Amino acid sequence: MSDLKVAVIIKLEPDFSEGNVSYNADGTLNRAETKSILGPHSAIACQAAFYAKVRFGAWVGVGTMGPPIADAALAQAQAICDADMLHLYSDRSFAGADTLATAETLRAGIAKMDGKMDIVFSGHRASDGETGQTGPQTAWKLGFTFLGHVIDYDVDMDRRVVRAKRLVSLQGFYDIIEEVEAPLPVFIAIDPSYKPHFNTVSQRLAFEKYSQEARTRVANSKQYLKTFNAQELGVDPKLVGLPGSPTIVYKVEKIPKAKASRKAEVIDGSSRDELRRVAAKIHEVLGGMVIK
Amino acid sequence: MTERYDVAVVGGGSAGLAALKRLSDLGKQAVLIEAGRQVGTKNVSGGILYSKKPRQGKTHNVEDLYENFEKEAPVERKITRYILHAASKDKDFAIDLTKAHEYQSNFGYSVLLGRLNPWFARRAVEAAEKQGGGLVSGVHVRSVGWSDGRAVIETDELEPFDVKAVIAADGVNSEIAEMTGARSKFTPQQLYQGVKVVVKLPEQILEERFGIGPGEGAAHLFAGDVTLGHIGGGFLYTNRDTLSVGAVYHFDSLVEKPAEPSALVNALLQDPLVADMIKDEVAVKQEIDRDLPKEEQLRARFAVSKLIKTWNELRDSYYSPAARSKLVEGGKYKSDAEIKSRLDLIKAELETKYGTKFVTDYVELEYSTKLVPDGKRCAMKKPYHNNILFIGDAAGRGVFIGPRIEGLNVGIDDAVRAADAVAKAIDRNNFAPEYMGEQYAQEVEKSPYTRDMREIDKDYLKTFLDATKDVPKDIVGQRYGVVFRLMSSSAFRGLAVGLANMLGYDKLLPLVESEETYVQVPIEIAERLGKQVQKTYEPTIPSVAERVARLKYDDDRQPHIRVLDAESEFMKKLVTLCPTKCYSLEDGKVVLQHEPCIECGTCARETEWRHPRGEKGVVYQYG
Ligand SMILES: Cc1cc2nc3c(=O)[nH]c(=O)nc-3n(C[C@H](O)[C@H](O)[C@H](O)COP(=O)(O)OP(=O)(O)OC[C@H]3O[C@@H](n4cnc5c(N)ncnc54)[C@H](O)[C@@H]3O)c2cc1C
Ligand code: SF4
Repeated sequence: MSDLKVAVIIKLEPDFSEGNVSYNADGTLNRAETKSILGPHSAIACQAAFYAKVRFGAWVGVGTMGPPIADAALAQAQAICDADMLHLYSDRSFAGADTLATAETLRAGIAKMDGKMDIVFSGHRASDGETGQTGPQTAWKLGFTFLGHVIDYDVDMDRRVVRAKRLVSLQGFYDIIEEVEAPLPVFIAIDPSYKPHFNTVSQRLAFEKYSQEARTRVANSKQYLKTFNAQELGVDPKLVGLPGSPTIVYKVEKIPKAKASRKAEVIDGSSRDELRRVAAKIHEVLGGMVIK
Repeated sequence: MTERYDVAVVGGGSAGLAALKRLSDLGKQAVLIEAGRQVGTKNVSGGILYSKKPRQGKTHNVEDLYENFEKEAPVERKITRYILHAASKDKDFAIDLTKAHEYQSNFGYSVLLGRLNPWFARRAVEAAEKQGGGLVSGVHVRSVGWSDGRAVIETDELEPFDVKAVIAADGVNSEIAEMTGARSKFTPQQLYQGVKVVVKLPEQILEERFGIGPGEGAAHLFAGDVTLGHIGGGFLYTNRDTLSVGAVYHFDSLVEKPAEPSALVNALLQDPLVADMIKDEVAVKQEIDRDLPKEEQLRARFAVSKLIKTWNELRDSYYSPAARSKLVEGGKYKSDAEIKSRLDLIKAELETKYGTKFVTDYVELEYSTKLVPDGKRCAMKKPYHNNILFIGDAAGRGVFIGPRIEGLNVGIDDAVRAADAVAKAIDRNNFAPEYMGEQYAQEVEKSPYTRDMREIDKDYLKTFLDATKDVPKDIVGQRYGVVFRLMSSSAFRGLAVGLANMLGYDKLLPLVESEETYVQVPIEIAERLGKQVQKTYEPTIPSVAERVARLKYDDDRQPHIRVLDAESEFMKKLVTLCPTKCYSLEDGKVVLQHEPCIECGTCARETEWRHPRGEKGVVYQYG
């Protein structure tokens, strides 16, 4: 077994694509009726974990807090990162958790993984929560160094340090890429622009091998899944769910639609005439530009 | 530190994959590098994959290499009928060549490489991983150099790595052959241009139409006026639920009198007999009433598309025993009859509510083109260079004689021979060309296919002539002189074949591979002996632009082809010869637009021609 252990915390997110979302009368999301998928940012975190598997043969665990149907998202995550273990933290008492209470559940879950983790990955943020705080708070609870906005990373296995590139936005400057080094263990929040690179034959071969392994594992993903309730996790009921949440969502308001600054015209493109109009528009807009 | 492996196989077509499998089975470490994002997205074949049992010598067959090939491989159909058609405008004379097809063969399956090559790849990779090797796709080999006797492989995507030996299986337009100077580019005289379309046809309709049982298949070849006066002919092979319809022409014949590849395949599709073979029931949308409110129009358009899609899918399932029983067993439908009535219902709704018409036409799925090396004229005499061994199309090898069209099986046979030579070289730690290269060359010499590329197989010729015995002797005799006159008389056939053999391929080929053979003779046969065939409908043939629009590409901004002389005669002909019209003429100079390129290699002769970078370019689904 490899001497690198990584965990990914993922979030089951509402599928905002057409036809899959449903809202309650008060404007909040109807979670029971809205279909769920692996969030796009979580998917990128899984890619980062897969990089650790391919490069260093890392052990990978994936954990999430959510309702029992979250196992589908866990399987999606496993397909990406060839996870060795899937964790689902599911208990009625977790309901209504804010980011801090969620972090507590995740901390307890990560502690139940295969020994001590060296790196924990999370996505940049979730598309339904938008606060981006669960990551840093979990890191704080775990006592791990937190690295946010990471666009690239590597591990020096001999020295057991992580080298990471972070995308930093400072007011008045263009985006700056900061390179940092931190001893393991670390918590990495992956930036959406992260893209793993595999530049040698051996890395590509490992990539193929683990991708294939992931495909076979996903076919039996239930075998890799462990579900924990609050008691099994051994969390303090006061620290999770609604009681553990110092913040509560008091009201969600629909932001009034801004006045459109661009005009759009629907041309359905079903006939030659319509297509001609599209061409004419393009011509009009591009003006003097020459397309070759 | 550069990474090191024992062997690199460049190119993951059927030949390269076979090399990887064989080397791995022999316990050697090999990595295969394939440019396509996935194996099988760059390969084109007709195609029938044969397994042979020659009377002299031994061929390494596909089923020897891949255990349970016949049981598990995603082949299409086992070809049990093989018919040659002499076609004129409205007449057809069929010659049953099933005996020639079965000649010294264990089997011949129709295949689609988009399905089959990935299966080969899985098998090869399973074996390769055990030896620390494997397959890397989406990577394009840019160069091969040498350092300390090892071959250094440079790619567009990865860090360089080095190996003890290379097997080059990079196809007819082998960059490795060209850049190492192992051989020069093939000339038009040494090549065929093959063009193909895949046509959709539900499984049981297909079986009924061709009079074949489940799993059985038919092959039809065409000569005569469908050739538009060029040297070559057409083919139509039955797949499981598609047809492969294509044409293979001597490239020099096309260069001489340029014809558009699409026109050649279109001529075939429009032949009354072929049109009847490919026809199906097709839903045609009608114009939506433009006076309706815009929203209403959009809604109707959406509904029609969805209904037609459902109708098509359900119909395909209905005519496929496996899919049909799945629907019933899965509980979606109670019985076959219920599926049928659902189909009728959708059809009725489309007709009455949206005015959709159901007509007789055909459905084309994919258009493809590729050059094919004519082994008789271009098989490499010395199929190695330094520590690189060339196999399959890259080595210019293939057996193409009249109705014999064999490249796939030849490439697999080469692969085994090359892998064996490399394995021996590893054991002896001797990769010198005098040892490894020569070992391979000698192995290739022993291949029955090599013999077939050099001399006439008397017995095959006899089988062929027996099949054509009904053809009046005067048609053949007055054209081909004494030898053939003798041949067409059964009493003297043996003698004649012997004579033909003495003449040898050099003298005989120009005689046989002529316009006479492929055009005039078949037309005359059809006119005199053929039965009348009538066209029952006019197939709606897509334009090249429509065909290109249906193909998938991963666009590369960077062109992989560079025109050297924009005013040369050959380049000007490409305006016609390029299958996807990448070339146009402006002020007497050709201009290349590389985006629609399907990497057929037709323009390679006078351009700086590379395959696109890894993952880029055309992505074939069927192949
Ligand atoms: C229309 C048509 C009909 C045919 N009919 C038949 C038939 O019925 N029966 C039959 O046996 N044969 C038939 N053939 C011939 C047969 O298809 C070929 O001989 C066979 O597919 C060649 O296989 P190959 O592996 O040698 O080459 P290919 O299949 O061309 O494979 C070469 C591979 O190398 C890869 N590659 C190339 N350069 C590089 C590089 N620099 N780096 C990395 N990868 C690279 C390519 O992406 C490709 O996948 C037909 C051919 C055509 C075109
Ligand atoms: S540009 Fe050349 S290689 Fe590409 S499709 Fe046209 S002729 Fe073939």
